[in-house]
Amino acid sequence: MTVPPRRYRVRHVTSYTYDEELEACYNRGLLRPRDTEHQLVLSSQVQVSPQPELLTEHQDYFGNHSVYLELRTPTTQLVVAAESVVEVSWPPPDLDGLNRWTVAEAVAFGAATDPLDLADFGLPSPMVCIDATVGEYAATVLRPDARLGEALVALNAAIGADFSYAKGVTSVRTTLAELLELRQGVCQDFAQLAIGCLRAVGLPARYVSGYLETTPPPGREKLRGADATHAWVSVLTPLGWVDLDPTNGQFVDSAYIVTAWGRDFSDVSPLRGVVFTEAANSSLSVEVDVEPIPVP
Amino acid sequence: MSASAAELSSPLIEAYRTHPARAAHDELLTTEGVREHGVMLASAIDSLGLAGLLAARAEVGNQAAADGASFGEAADRQPWLIDPLPLPLSAADWSVLASGLEQRARLLDAVLADLYSTRTLLRRRVLPAAAVLAHRGFARAADGSLGSGRQLLLTGTDLGRGASGEWVALSDPTQCPAGAGLAMATRRIVTKAIAGLHRGSDLARLRGFFLTTTGALLDAAPSQAETPRVVLLSPGAGSPSAFDQGLLATLLGFPLAEADDLVVSAGRVLLRAGDALEPIDVILRRVGDAVADPLESRGDSEVGVPGLVEAVRRGTVKVANPVGTAVLDNPALIAALPGVCQALLGEELLLASPLTWWCGEPTQADHVLAKLTELVIKPLSPSAGGPIYGWLLDATQRAELAAAIKAEPWAWCGQEAVELSTAPVVTPSGLEPRRLVLRAFGVATPDGYRFLPGGLGRVAPSTTELSVSSTNGALAKDVWVPATAQTVASDTARPRLQLARETALPPRVAHTLMNLGRLGERAESTARLVKVADDFTEDFGAHPGSAGAAAVSALLRGVAGITGTERKLNESNLAYLTRVTLDAEEPGGVHHSVRRLIVEAQEVRDLLSVDCWSVFNRLEQTLTGGVPQSSTLQQLLADVLESLLAFSGIMAQSMVRDSSWAFLDAGGRLERAAHTVKLLRFTLLAQNGDRIEPSAELAAEAVLRAGESIITHRRRAAAGTGPATGTESVRQLLVHDHANPRSVAFQLGELANDLRMAGDDRIAAQVEAIIAELDANAGAPAHRSAEQLASLATALAALGERIAARHFTRQARRRTAEPAWAVAR
Repeated sequence: MTVPPRRYRVRHVTSYTYDEELEACYNRGLLRPRDTEHQLVLSSQVQVSPQPELLTEHQDYFGNHSVYLELRTPTTQLVVAAESVVEVSWPPPDLDGLNRWTVAEAVAFGAATDPLDLADFGLPSPMVCIDATVGEYAATVLRPDARLGEALVALNAAIGADFSYAKGVTSVRTTLAELLELRQGVCQDFAQLAIGCLRAVGLPARYVSGYLETTPPPGREKLRGADATHAWVSVLTPLGWVDLDPTNGQFVDSAYIVTAWGRDFSDVSPLRGVVFTEAANSSLSVEVDVEPIPVP
Repeated sequence: MSASAAELSSPLIEAYRTHPARAAHDELLTTEGVREHGVMLASAIDSLGLAGLLAARAEVGNQAAADGASFGEAADRQPWLIDPLPLPLSAADWSVLASGLEQRARLLDAVLADLYSTRTLLRRRVLPAAAVLAHRGFARAADGSLGSGRQLLLTGTDLGRGASGEWVALSDPTQCPAGAGLAMATRRIVTKAIAGLHRGSDLARLRGFFLTTTGALLDAAPSQAETPRVVLLSPGAGSPSAFDQGLLATLLGFPLAEADDLVVSAGRVLLRAGDALEPIDVILRRVGDAVADPLESRGDSEVGVPGLVEAVRRGTVKVANPVGTAVLDNPALIAALPGVCQALLGEELLLASPLTWWCGEPTQADHVLAKLTELVIKPLSPSAGGPIYGWLLDATQRAELAAAIKAEPWAWCGQEAVELSTAPVVTPSGLEPRRLVLRAFGVATPDGYRFLPGGLGRVAPSTTELSVSSTNGALAKDVWVPATAQTVASDTARPRLQLARETALPPRVAHTLMNLGRLGERAESTARLVKVADDFTEDFGAHPGSAGAAAVSALLRGVAGITGTERKLNESNLAYLTRVTLDAEEPGGVHHSVRRLIVEAQEVRDLLSVDCWSVFNRLEQTLTGGVPQSSTLQQLLADVLESLLAFSGIMAQSMVRDSSWAFLDAGGRLERAAHTVKLLRFTLLAQNGDRIEPSAELAAEAVLRAGESIITHRRRAAAGTGPATGTESVRQLLVHDHANPRSVAFQLGELANDLRMAGDDRIAAQVEAIIAELDANAGAPAHRSAEQLASLATALAALGERIAARHFTRQARRRTAEPAWAVAR
């Protein structure tokens, strides 16, 4: 099934400001969207200020565009700006098709697929530790005899119902077990929880980082930089990879732009670095704009 | 083949033969008698007898201490323990083993290349994907970073010999194989201890392997490098195998480097050499995979180099072994290796391993769980924990382990227990059989892999201990391989000419050398001063109110002022001086300075002559032992001074006059100048006016003695070429006299030379300006000397700071930067 394509210009600007000069800094960024079955990247570039000593890129283990940048000019500010134009045409998932499989059948099917996908996305990963509590939570929504499509809908609904969205409660160090206690978090937490549940029952699942087009409240203008990076989950089914967004309780559609995927956040952090500085304080700002543009 | 039982004349060997702990396969004896290749060893045991063997044991202990051979974290460093009896291997034994190792090296190299490129082994299910992808050592960041050609430049394999007498590979600690340096140290030490035995044997020498390795690492450099630059990247002197690293660096002729010495710039690894940055072509890596590049592995490693993996990816530097090699140390790989060998090389696997089951396969997990009490259980990743011996577990532990295996079966393996062979070890109660593990070392050359003949033998710390590890107190064995057994003569490897390039030093090294110079001088001048003070106390202490007593108190003021050590209430002079000498916790004291000196020396082990370590060992022993009942503090200080002079003599005689020497000497010069100024200020300034009192004259003579200038003073006084009194002479001789090697002016002159040698004309000129001012003030009246000495002290301190700011700048603190969770929605 084809859906009419939508086109976006995505601007993602990360600025670090330090109270003393940086002697050097090294960064790895997964900022350039990748081509996917449902997405075509028309243009994409990363600009760095001040001028980096080296800005280069390779395709990483998961096929993402991985940017390496190195700066050795003393500076107090580092700005990394990624701008891309992406065309997305993401059909709704074939729920009827998915429902022809039970969860258990889908697990058995997955076991026969690519052994690498199965191991990479089926086993626990650094930030998705699957203990008994995760297993118990997963068992309530992903029963083996449940129909796969319905089970995925139920997983989205369960996380939506059981958890509230709250910034600042969780961090990169929050484990799934802690999250299950806290019952609140942000999109990365919910994506990783969904991944943990899917892997706990035997379904390979990966972490997807990207963007979501947001619409302003009725009657208000959209604010610049008000969008954000987003994260969701992709699960391997007999019909292929199906993406769902537990934070918003829906399947992924053409409002979603994929940047990169991996086993969990630790594989696809948008920008991380090692900085050499005596600065005591630093501030960080991240601005994201997802601007729909007309398809000619 | 073995010698007949009749030849077992020695009661030692007879007792060993009947020892209940001897394994089915013993390295020395068969059921009939001594193995043929062990006959020489047996006859040496016979002729030495227990007393002779124990003497040899003591000798290897002393020699290891003298060489500073050690193992373990800095806080818990243990001497390297060696059994004096070598471990002879037969020629046939070694050549079979060497062929197996050669194949295994080629195989692991091919596995490594596959795992970081196409992963065909996993796609075709030759190797279970989860057994690799769930291993902590699988470095996804290194995917696609390895170039073409050999990747596994070095190999390390731990071997054991089972009951049948066949060698089996137990594990492959290849990410940064440690111990080749220790094998060499063990050989040297054992050779000295029982020299006769070595002379009678035609042994394969070890030296050739290191020459080959030097050549192989130079050859591994990315193409265009004309004179490739190689460094050994070390986690630092605190690393458990710091001794091994230092010796290896020396044997290979490559400098040790630490993270602060290196930067990545424009995708190249560069060495911070003085003001310059020099490209590095090859890195012999002793920093573990998980911390080698903090940019890729996350976390805030201080010992890694951010950008290292990217530099490897760009092909600008070769790392031996590459980041990601840790995945090869994997029992599940061992389980699959025969099939992998067929798939990659089309060969039968020559070197077997104990039967191994990977629990990621349900049927194998069932087997392991059923046989839990018989098997050795190993985590997939060695970093997750050591082996667990099933038969040692109680019911609860067994249940816990079974639950852990069921929860994450892919993370576990079971391995058949090997009844390791035993080898005799010398103990006070005779020869004891101990379990043996052999670590073999290989290096990739353009003509194939070459191996250290033998390797590093290690035996268990007791007869009942089944595991053999340097962390549990294992003893090293010098492994002998007959020269004829070398299938490939590694000695013939052409040592590629390495152009010795004059380079500036990394700031860390320059700083350490300067500290080394300072601390050596500090210990020496303090010891000298305390010795004079002790001598005066002995002579005059009993006569309060005398001129001598006044001189004693001047000297004690000097000791207190210079060392910063407070005298306790009611503490006798002797007790105080003894404490300043011996108390290692007393900053400024002799022992404290010596301890710091040794710590600094460990940082630059590769630059120091091996002879330094026996001097340090003797110093530490003297100072720890205290003053013997039958002796005096005078005698002890004389011994300490002798050792310190030996140290400075070794340094002066062994170091090339380049910037290394310049910084070392500069440290000594600056320290001696500062010491002398302090000595004068604290001891003589209490005098006032120009009137010469008897007490002042005695004190001045004491200071001249502490400043090693009393003879010059007396000679000049007698010849009429100098002042008649010490009071007049002291300032002239110890401050202004350019010809006196103890004077401040002399130190400054040498310091200026050192700085010029290190390429710093600017600070050298500043030093010369201070000398000029000193000269100008030489004739100033005595009452101005306090003021002059104070300003001189300030100038010296400022010099030290300027040198540090100019030459010892470390890289800024590193921190990780990553947007936090909440910026996403």
